[in-house]
This record gives sequence, C-alpha cells and structure tokens, in this order.
Amino acid sequence: MNERRLKKILILAGAAATLLFCLGPFVYMLATALATDPEFLGPGREFVPTLAHFHSVLFSESVHFLRYLLNSMVIAGLSALVSVFIAALGAYALTRLAIPGGRSILLIVLGISMFPPVSLISYLFKLMSALGWMNTYPALILPYVAWTLPLSLWILVSYFAQVPRDLDRAGLVDGCSRLKILLRIILPVAAPGVFATFLLAFIYAFNEFLIALMLTTDQAARTIPVGIALFEGLHGQVAWGEIMAAATVTTIPVVVLVLIFQHHIIQGLTRGAVKT
Amino acid sequence: MIGSQAGCGSALRRTRGPARRPLSAQVRGFWFLAPLFGFIGLLILIPVLGTLLDSLFRDIIYLPARFVLLANFQALAADPAFWGAVRFSLLFVLVSVPLQLLLGLGMALVLNEPMPLRGLVRACMLVPWAIPAAVTGRVFQLVYNYSYGAANYLLDRLQLSAEPVNWLGTSVSSFVAVVAADTWQTTPFAAILLLAGLAAIPEDLYAQARVDQAGLLRRFFSITLPLLKPVLIVALLFRTIQALRVFDIIFVLTGGGPGGATEPLSMLAYRHFAAGDFGYGSAASVVLFAIALGLSLVYVRVGRFQEGP
Repeated sequence: MNERRLKKILILAGAAATLLFCLGPFVYMLATALATDPEFLGPGREFVPTLAHFHSVLFSESVHFLRYLLNSMVIAGLSALVSVFIAALGAYALTRLAIPGGRSILLIVLGISMFPPVSLISYLFKLMSALGWMNTYPALILPYVAWTLPLSLWILVSYFAQVPRDLDRAGLVDGCSRLKILLRIILPVAAPGVFATFLLAFIYAFNEFLIALMLTTDQAARTIPVGIALFEGLHGQVAWGEIMAAATVTTIPVVVLVLIFQHHIIQGLTRGAVKT
Repeated sequence: MIGSQAGCGSALRRTRGPARRPLSAQVRGFWFLAPLFGFIGLLILIPVLGTLLDSLFRDIIYLPARFVLLANFQALAADPAFWGAVRFSLLFVLVSVPLQLLLGLGMALVLNEPMPLRGLVRACMLVPWAIPAAVTGRVFQLVYNYSYGAANYLLDRLQLSAEPVNWLGTSVSSFVAVVAADTWQTTPFAAILLLAGLAAIPEDLYAQARVDQAGLLRRFFSITLPLLKPVLIVALLFRTIQALRVFDIIFVLTGGGPGGATEPLSMLAYRHFAAGDFGYGSAASVVLFAIALGLSLVYVRVGRFQEGP
C-alpha cells in the first residue's frame, strides 16, 4: 500500500517535470515574442504584452519573413509529396513483388540515411551551380526527396505489410495492373499510414538546415530555419522580440499539426525506428 | 467485390495472375524500385563518392583542382582545430547520448503509467522534436543571455549562484549549454521510442511478478530492462549517429565558439566549404563519414541480429 502511494506521487511528479521540461523553452519563446521588452526577466524589468513584434515580422517588407515561410511550405510540401510517392512504389515492390534481397535493400537504405549531410553539401553545391539552380526551389527539393526517402520507405513498408494480400489478389483477378493495385487499393487502404509518412517527411524537410544554408543565398529560395538563424534585425542590435515572433509563427503551425495528428506521428516514428 | 472497387474490370487480362514467371516479376519489381534507387544514387551516393574523391584533391574555388593524394589529410592531422573538433564531437556524443537516454527512459517509465491527461502530456513531448533545431538554437541563445536570459534568472531566483554565469563565454559552460539545449531537443524523441518499447512488454509478466511479491526495483531490473534492451540499443545507435553529425543547433547557438571550443567536425567541414576550400572540407567530412559509417554498420548488424530468421 505504501509502495503504491509512493509510486503514484513519483509518477505525478515525473509527469509534471516532463511537461515543464518540454514546454518551458517553448513558453519562454512565446513570452518573449509577446513582450514589449525582451529583457523582461532582467533586474527591475517587467512583462508588458504587445503584438508589435508579430506586426513587424509579418508586415515589414525588408524582413522577407513571409517569403521564407512560403519557400519552406512549398519546398517541404513538394518534397514530401514526391518522397511518399516514390517510397510507396518501392514499399509496394518490397512487400508484394518477389525482390531478391529485399531485406538487404531496406537495411542498406537505412544505412544510407545515417550518412552525415555535411558529406553531401559540397557536391550538391557544385552540382546545383553547374546546373544554374543555386538559390532555386529544385536545388532543395531534389536533395530533400532523396534525404526523406529512407524514412518514408521504412514507414510505408511497415504499413503496407499489414494490408491483406487478398486485396491484391482480388485486384489481379480483376485484371488490374500492379500500378493500379497500388494506387487504387493499397494506398487508400493504408491512407492513415501514408498520411503519417507525408507528415513526417514534411517536418523533416521543413526543419532541414545545412543543405538550405549551403544552397540558398537570399529570399528567392531561403527557407525559414535559415532565415531565423541568420536574422539580425534592422537596427544593429539583436532583435529578440522579432526573432522569437518569427520563431513562434514558424513553429505554431508545425506544433498544431503535431498535436492534432500526434497519434499518427507517434505511430509512424516508432514504426520507422522500432520494428514491431 | 473488393477487386471491382479498383475499377479494372477486364477479365481478359486475368492470365497474368497466378502463373506469372518469377523473372519478369523481378524485373517489374526493379522498375518499382528504380525511382528510389535513382534519387538515392544521384543525390546521396554519388555526392558522398564525389566528396571522397574530392578529399584527394587540392580543390579551391576559382582555382584548377590538383591531385594531391593524402595531403589534405596530412594537413588535417597537423591542424589543432581539427583535433579540437574531433575531441568535441566525441565528447559531445559520450556525454549527451547517455544523458538523453537516461532522461528519456525516466520520462518513458512515467508516461507508461496510467494517469490523468496522459495523452496530452505525450502530445506535448512532441513539441521539442517538431521545432527546427535552428530555431531551438535561437531560443537557447536567449535562454543563456548573460544579463536577462532565463537560465541566469532561474539560478538567481533559486539562489543557486551568487553571480550570473557567462554561459556562452567559457569553454566548459558553453559545452554544458550546448549539451543542455540538445538534450531538450532530442530527449522527448528518445522517450517516445522507449515508450513504444515499454508498451510492447506484456502486462501478464508484471502481474505474475506482483503475485511473486517482487518489488518495484526488482520488477524494473528483471522484467523491464531486459525486455527493453533491443529498443534501447536501437535508440542508442540512432542517437549516437545523430549526435555525431550535430550541426544546426550549435551553428546557431554558439557558432562553434568561444574560440572553437564547441565546434563539431561537421561545422569544421562546413566552414571550409563556405570559404571555398572544397578539398580540405571534404577531407574533414570524410573523417566524420568514416566514423558514422562504422556506426551504421554496427546498426545494420544489430538490426539483422534482432530480426532473427
């Protein structure tokens, strides 16, 4: 009885600590974005709320913040879309067609995803320069598709493996081509998994930093993480209010998405990493 | 019924189904895999090979490249910044990964128990994971601000330190600062992985152990830990490889400073790329790549071992 009570107290304290740990810096970011004076924690200062930082980040032309956000949305969205489609083709082959060494292919693809991105960027820089694509969307979309493919493939394989084979057979008997079976039967049946994969690939591409840092030079294609990292403010000193407002506007959509679809995301994440 | 949903109602093509030749099926399979191989080959494998090759050249932007064999690596070996980066990268892995896994295990154990609002707490754990690391770097830059950051505010409020700490100003404190920021970002992810592992442990085992009067600690060490081991190993290797290639958060938080004290290998390589010295930067990333490849092979071996027959 005593042990049980102690355990209960420990668990509640642990949950509270976890919550504080996870949300603390996030709330601090939010508070700074809303504070008239970003130094509100300094001695003799106080917190006075304002929306001025959001206003200047969203409406000041010279900050290019909205442009960065648009770039990120388009680049991450297209990358995730293409990545999921190509991974779906591959996952279909690996789960449905007789591929010799299918298991090894999966493991090799996983091994490839372990490569440090820094070992790609000099070559990508030269490639995109030679093609004249520096600072354009394709310069980021193409590497992002490749970069998210291992993740997409692993998650989709685990979802496709759960779709009953009878559905395929019914399609084959009906005279469907393999591609049609994938598009009209497997993908709709596995839709929640496909959607989780898309979300994960989107977040990975949206958050990518190093390749975007190397391959973009200005607002024509610069993504939001790079924009925030290099943001210096307009008046010389570090504009913490603007930076945190920009960070908030960037992270709120992602966080809302994650909170709404947490179930799918957790499932996708753990399937990609922990084989069930 | 199910088949007709797909709307491919031609019974004439039925011949393909059961009696297809294995060889043509294999060929078809490779067509499905071709785009995957194409993208990964052209945009990952060839760039990595290109970097490998380039590490053997003196390749500086606007100058003709010249084959120098191992001269870049010799220059690296004589570069104190290189050894500093190797030291930092390894130390960062050695300190942050165990710390994050232990914390993550603690969170997972807590979250695995029934409690009010458990779903909400779990959802909040995804928040640090979902934020771009570059943004996290910015937020922690403010957290560590000397005169008005949250870190010194808390130290002062809790009366843990008489004087504010110059977090990003000394090599030891900046190391702590970087590890703490990275721990915030990645621990919840480790916890989510471990939580999935915990959920897979059959409840019967614990019920049986309770019948046998096994205490809390005993149950943890005889049931939870052994059964969680495969997931722990996966999380360990994942985190190790990610920590080894850390870049974003440090680039923004400290820029590798003060005086290169927190510069990982990936940033050393990037710095030379950005300055146009591709050969030297490639050599540095080849070293990082070799370390990561070694660990990837370990991962693949563990993965295969786990899978069994």
